[in-house]
Amino acid sequence: MMLHGGQYHVYYSRSKTTHIIATNLPTAKIKELKGEKVIRPEWIVESIKAGRLLSYIPYQLYTKQSTAQKSLNFNPICKPEDPVPGPSNVAKQLNNKVNHIIKKIETENEVRVNGINTWNEEDANHNFSFVDLETPLPGRKQNVIPHPRGSAAILNGHSLSSNGALKTQDCLVPGGNSIASRLSPPDSAQEKNAEKSNTDFRDCTPQQLQQSTRNSETLRNPHRTNSLSPSLHSNAKINGAHHSTVQGPSSTKSTSSLPALSKVAPSVPSKPSDCSFISDFYSHSRLHHISTWKCELTEFVNTLQRQSSGVFPGREKLKKMKTGRSALVVTDTGNMSVLSSPRPQSCIMHVDMDCFFVSVGIRNRPDLKGKPVAVTSNRGSGRAPLRPGANPQLEWQYYQNKILKGKAADIPDSSLWENQDSAQINGIDSVLSKAEIASCSYEARQVGIKNGMFFGHAKQLCPNLQAVPYDFHAYKEVARMMYETLASYTHNIEAVSCDEALVDITEILAETKLTPDEFANAVRVEIKDKTKCAASVGIGSNILLARMATRKAKPDGQYHLKPEEVDDFIRGQLVANLPGVGRSMESKLTSLGIKTCGDLQHMTMAKLQKEFGPKIGQMLYRFCRGLDDRPVRTEKERKSISAEINYGIRFTQPKEAEAFLLKLSEEIQRRLEAAGMKGKRLTLKIMVRKPGAPVETAKYGGHGICDNIARTVTLDQATDSAKIIGKATLNMFHTMKLNISDMRGVGIQVNQLVPTNPNPSTCSSRASAQSSHFPGGSHSVRDLLQVQKAKKPTEEDSKEVSLAAVDLEASSARRTCTFLPSFSAHLPATISADTNKAESSGKWNGLHSPISVQSRLNLSIEVPSSSQLDQSVLEALPSDLREQIEQVCAIQQGEPSGDKKKEPVNGCNTGILPQPVGTVLLQIPEPQESNSDIGISIIALPAFSQVDPEVFAALPAELQKELKAAYDQRQRQGEDPTHQQPASASEPKNPSLQLKPVAVKDKKKSKKKTPISPPKKIQNPLKNMLLNSPAKTLPGACGSPQKLMDGFLKHEGPAAEKPLEELSASTSGVQGLFSLQPAQHSCVRPVAPNLAGAVEFSDVKTLLREWITTISDPMEEDILQVVKYCTDLIEEKDLEKLDLVIKYMKRLMQQSVESVWNMAFDFILDNVQVVLQQTYGSTLKVT
Amino acid sequence: MTTLTRQDLNFGQVVADVLCEFLEVAVHLILYVREVYPVGIFQKRKKYNVPVQMSCHPELNQYIQDTLHCVKPLLEKFCPGWAITVSPAAVLGPGWEPAILSSQPGPLSPKNDVEKVVVVILDKEHRPVEKFVFEITQPPLLSISSDSLLSHVEQLLRAFILKISVCDAVLDHNPPGCTFTVLVHTREAATRNMEKIQVIKDFPWILADEQDVHMHDPRLIPLKTMTSDILKMQLYVEERAHKSS
Repeated sequence: MMLHGGQYHVYYSRSKTTHIIATNLPTAKIKELKGEKVIRPEWIVESIKAGRLLSYIPYQLYTKQSTAQKSLNFNPICKPEDPVPGPSNVAKQLNNKVNHIIKKIETENEVRVNGINTWNEEDANHNFSFVDLETPLPGRKQNVIPHPRGSAAILNGHSLSSNGALKTQDCLVPGGNSIASRLSPPDSAQEKNAEKSNTDFRDCTPQQLQQSTRNSETLRNPHRTNSLSPSLHSNAKINGAHHSTVQGPSSTKSTSSLPALSKVAPSVPSKPSDCSFISDFYSHSRLHHISTWKCELTEFVNTLQRQSSGVFPGREKLKKMKTGRSALVVTDTGNMSVLSSPRPQSCIMHVDMDCFFVSVGIRNRPDLKGKPVAVTSNRGSGRAPLRPGANPQLEWQYYQNKILKGKAADIPDSSLWENQDSAQINGIDSVLSKAEIASCSYEARQVGIKNGMFFGHAKQLCPNLQAVPYDFHAYKEVARMMYETLASYTHNIEAVSCDEALVDITEILAETKLTPDEFANAVRVEIKDKTKCAASVGIGSNILLARMATRKAKPDGQYHLKPEEVDDFIRGQLVANLPGVGRSMESKLTSLGIKTCGDLQHMTMAKLQKEFGPKIGQMLYRFCRGLDDRPVRTEKERKSISAEINYGIRFTQPKEAEAFLLKLSEEIQRRLEAAGMKGKRLTLKIMVRKPGAPVETAKYGGHGICDNIARTVTLDQATDSAKIIGKATLNMFHTMKLNISDMRGVGIQVNQLVPTNPNPSTCSSRASAQSSHFPGGSHSVRDLLQVQKAKKPTEEDSKEVSLAAVDLEASSARRTCTFLPSFSAHLPATISADTNKAESSGKWNGLHSPISVQSRLNLSIEVPSSSQLDQSVLEALPSDLREQIEQVCAIQQGEPSGDKKKEPVNGCNTGILPQPVGTVLLQIPEPQESNSDIGISIIALPAFSQVDPEVFAALPAELQKELKAAYDQRQRQGEDPTHQQPASASEPKNPSLQLKPVAVKDKKKSKKKTPISPPKKIQNPLKNMLLNSPAKTLPGACGSPQKLMDGFLKHEGPAAEKPLEELSASTSGVQGLFSLQPAQHSCVRPVAPNLAGAVEFSDVKTLLREWITTISDPMEEDILQVVKYCTDLIEEKDLEKLDLVIKYMKRLMQQSVESVWNMAFDFILDNVQVVLQQTYGSTLKVT
Repeated sequence: MTTLTRQDLNFGQVVADVLCEFLEVAVHLILYVREVYPVGIFQKRKKYNVPVQMSCHPELNQYIQDTLHCVKPLLEKFCPGWAITVSPAAVLGPGWEPAILSSQPGPLSPKNDVEKVVVVILDKEHRPVEKFVFEITQPPLLSISSDSLLSHVEQLLRAFILKISVCDAVLDHNPPGCTFTVLVHTREAATRNMEKIQVIKDFPWILADEQDVHMHDPRLIPLKTMTSDILKMQLYVEERAHKSS
C-alpha cells in the first residue's frame, strides 16, 4: 500500500487518518467513528487493481447500523489437543498470509495508484515489517486474494460483533474463521459465505489447513445442532489471539483470553509467558514511563549542572530585556535592592504543565481544543463486554469497605451481587470500561471527570468525552523541551516529574532584578512557544507555598503568593491539597473533623504526632502553617530499584511463572545496569487472588482483590546479575508454594544499592558502607542507614564554596557527619595504580586533580599477603573486590620477599608526597589566629591510611592542600630528624597496616571501633599547623601536649605495638576507611554527637566501660574517636554531658592498672581542654 | 487548649517570657547560693515547684528586673528569619560599669541576638571571680505546641534551678565582699537596638570593660544543659583558679 502512496497510522488520528479499514468493529467503535470513512479492505486491493482510487462508498463497512446484535460470549478453554497454543505460531502464519497479500498486490498491479494517499490502521505497518521477514510460499499466491472477499462477505452480515475488534486486513483470514465459528444461528447466506471462506483456506500451511478444515467441519455440524463443540471453542480461541495481535491498544475489549505475541501492534494483554511481555508491558505502562522520565530528567539536570559554565543564555536574555527598558526603572529597582535586606528572600518557582498528557496529545489537534478530552488507552464508548466470572460490583464494594475500614475487609458475599452489574444496555452484556484516565482536559474536569477515573464512568458523566491515545514519545519530547527551557535560566532545578519542576529562582531574581511575576511570565511564554503546551507557574517563599500557588494559578496562569498573604491563603486550603496528604490520611483527618488547613492549625503538634506518627505529624503541623524548609534538591538518592507487574498476570503452569520471574530478573538487571547500581537485598512480591474473590477481575487483566505476599532475602554480595537475582527469586518463589493460577501480580525489588562503578560521587560512600557490611556489628548497619538519610549530594556544593566559606561549611558538616566504616571499594583501583604511579605523581605535583589524589591515597591501602587473608572474609567480599584482591595476591606472590613487595607502593607514596608540600605550604597563608600548637594537629590527624580517598577528593581544594601538608608534616615529625630518607617516610604507618582477617577480631572491639576521626575534624588544628610550619618551628614549638603526644605516639609506635596496630588495621582496613559525609547543612537536622552510635549518656557509659575494662592497650584510633566525640559535644554546647563523660573516663581510666590508660586519659583531656580553650576561653575544671 | 496560629504566634515573645522569668529566679538564687548578699535579705519562695530563694531588697530586685527588662527585647528576636551576619560580639553590662568592646569572638552558629547572659561575681577589686554563663542557642527544631511544651520546659528549668542551688558543692568559696553584675553577650547590631530601649527605660547599658570580662586562668564547670522545642540553653560556671589572690 505504501508503494502506492498509502500511509498507515498505527494509532488512529482524527485529523490525519482519512479512511479506516476494517472488517469488523465493535459497537463502541462504530459509534465513535460515525461520520468517518470506515471501509472494507477490498477497497484497497481493488483500487490497486483498478489502478485508480475507487470511490469508497460501495466498500463502506457499515451502511445501516443495527443495534440489536447478539452478543457473542465464548469461553476460552484451553484445549488439550492444541499442542502449542503459541500465539507466535499463529502470528507467523498470519504474517505469511499478509505477506502474500502484499506480494500479490505487488505482482499483479504494476500500476501505481495515485489517489490513494492514506491508509488507516495497522495494515501497512504490519505488511512492511513482515515483508523482509517471511519468504512467501508461491503456491499460495492465488488463494490469497479471495480471502478478504469471503470474510468480508460474512462481515457484511455481522457488522456488530462485540468481541474482537477486527480492523485490519491482516486478520481477515483468521478473522473470517473466528467470526464464522462464532455464528451460532447463521442464516443461509452467511453459512455459504463461511463455507466459501473456509474452502479458501485449504491451501494454507498445514496447521492453518487443519484449523480451517476443522472450522468448516464445525461450521457444518454444529450449525444444525445449534451448539458449539469444544473444537470450535479452540478455534475461536486461536482466532481470538489473532484479534489482539492486530488490534493494538484497543484490545482491552477483546474477549480473547490468549493474547498473542505482538511485536508491532502494542497489545497490552499479551501473555505473560511471552518473551516480549515484560518489555511490552513497560513500553505501555504510563506509570513506568513517568517514573523513568523523572529519573532521566533528574539526570539531565545533573548533567547540566556538572557541565555548567555558569552562563545561562536565558538569564542573559532576561537581563538584556530588562536593561532594554527605561533606565529609570533599572535604577529604581537597583536602589530598592540595596535598601532591602542583604539576603534576598528565597523564592521558589513551581512549574507545572497543564494537564500534560492531554495538552501534548492535542497540540497537533486543534479541533479538540476546548473539548473534553481524556488520555486513556480505551478509545471506545467506555463499555466493555462483561466477561463471565468477573464481578466488578463485588470488587468495588470490597475497595469501598477497605477504604472505610482502613483494612482489608472481607470479601462481600458474591451471591448478593450476582449479575446485577451486567447492565443490559443496547442489548449488549457490557460493563463500563475500566481503562484509567491518565489525564483529562479542564473542560472534562468541569463535568466532574478526574484523573485516574475509569474511562467507562467518565464517559457516562460526559458522553462527548474524546479519548486520545498515549503518545509517549511526544511526552518525552515536550518534557525535555520544558526542562531545557528552565535550564537556560538556572540549574537549580528539582525534577518533580516529567511535567513538573521546582526551580529556585532567588538567585535569578537578584541577578536580573526582575520581579517574580515578570520572570514567571517570561518562562511561561517561552515554554508555550516551544512546546505549544500551557504551563502554570506558582511562586512562593518555599516549596510548599510554590506548589499551593500553582494550584491557584491553574490553568494556564501564574500566581505569586506573597509572604503577607500566606496566612490567609493557607487557612483556606483544603488539607487534601497539601503534598503528602493522600486519600487515607484525608479520610483520617476528615474523621477528626479537619477539612482545611485552618482547621488543622488548631491541632497541637503533640496531637498530630500521636495521630500520625512523629514525622508526618510534624510535617502536617508545619505545612498547615505554610512552613516548609525543604530545599530544592537537584539530586536524589536511589534507594531501591524494582520491577513490578500486576496487570495481565495469568499463569497456567509453574513453568510459565518461573520463566516469567527469570525474565523479570532480566528486566531488573537492565534497570540496575541503567542506574549503575548493584543491590544486595531482594524482595519478591506476589499478589495472589484473595480466597473467595472472583477468578475473573472486573478490569480486564487487572489484579482484582488480592493478598500480597512478600519474601525477602539478603544476598551475600551486591549483584546486578539476572542469573543470581533470578535464582534467588525462584527460591523465594518456591518457598511460597502458591497456586499458580491465582497469581495476579509479580514484583521484584532490589534494595541496599551499591554503585557498580565506584566514582567519587555521592554513591561511593555507600559502596564502601556496603562492602563493609560483613564484618559490621550493628553499628555499621546503623551508620549506613544514617548516612543514607543524612547524605546529600554536597559534592558539587563543596567544590563551589569559596575559601571563606570553607570554615563554615566544614564546621557545620562536622556536626552532621556520620562515619562509615568503609572498605574502600577502590582497593583494586589503587593497586592497579601502582603501575601508573609516575603518571599520578606528575599530576599530583601539578594540578591537584581529585583523581590523582584518589589514586595516590588509595595506594596506602595495603593488601596483605595471601597467606594472611582469611578465605571466608574474602568470600564475603563483593565479587569485584575479591577478584582484585586475588589479583593483587597473585602479584605479590610473584614477588620474592615480603618486604620488597611493599616497596613500590610506599615508594610511590612518599616519592610523591614531600614534593608538592613545600609549595603548598607557602601558597596558603592562613590568617587564622591561634594559640594552639602543632601537637594537636598531629594528634587529631587520623592515620594517613585512614583517610578515605573519596572524602579527600570531595573536599575543597584548599582543605586538600592543608591535609596534604599536614600529613607531610606528620611524616617528617614521625620520622627521625635526620630526614634523609623520604622514601621511608610512610613506613612507620603503612607496613603494619594490614588487612587482617575479620574473623580474628572480637566483637566488642569491632563495635567500639567504628568511626574514627575524619579528615574534617582536623581542620582547625591543621590551620594552626599551617601557620607554624612555614616557620619551621616544628620541634621547638611543641607545648606540653605535643610532648605528651609524642610520648604517646612513641608508645603506640610501629615497633612497640605490633598487635595493636594490627588490630587497628583490621578495623581500618576492612571497615576502617572512614568516609565523611558532608551532609547538607541546610536540610538535614544535625546528627547528635555520638560515640560509635551511642548518643544517650548511659549508652556512652556502657561503651566506655566496655572499652576500658576489656582492653589493656587502647588504640590510637579509639582514643581519637573519643576525642572527636568530646569535641562534638563542645560544639553541641552540651558541656554537661562532656563533663560527665570526662569524669566517668577519669574514674575508670585512672583506676586502671595500665599506665597506658592514664596516659590515654591525659591525652583526651588535653585535647578537650584545648578545644574548650578555643571555644570558651577557659578550661574544664577536673576534680 | 490554647493554640497559636502562625500570625499571632511569636516564637520570640514566648521564648523571651519564659527565659526572663527563669533568669530572674536564677539570678536571685545565684546571689543567695554564692552568698553575694547576706542570707537575711532572702525569702523562701516556690517556683517551678521547687523552693527557691528570692531577695526582698527592693533596690536589688528593681535592678534585676530592669536588667532583664532590657534583655528581653533582645531575646524576643530569638526567632527564625532573624539571621544577621556574624560580627564580633559585644559584651554589655548594666549600670555604672565602664565599657569597651570585647575581643572575644562569639561562636559562629547562633542566630539570636543574645548569645550569653552572664552573671558575674566580682571581688573587691572588681575582678571577676565567678561567672555563671547562660548560653542560649536555638534548638534544632523550633516549634510551639502548647500542651506538653510548657510543662516540659518547666521540668527542664527546674533542673537548672536545682543545679544552681547545689553548685556550691563544686565551686570554691568566694572571697568576702563580692558584688555582682550582669553581662549580656550580644551581636553588634543588637547593641544599637538596645540603645533605643535604654533611653526609654532610663536604664543605660554600656559596653563592658575588658577586665570585667576577662578572667584570669578560668576553670569551667558545666552545670546543666537543656534542649527543648523552643530553646536550647546550657549553664556553666567559669571560676577563677585562685579566688583569693
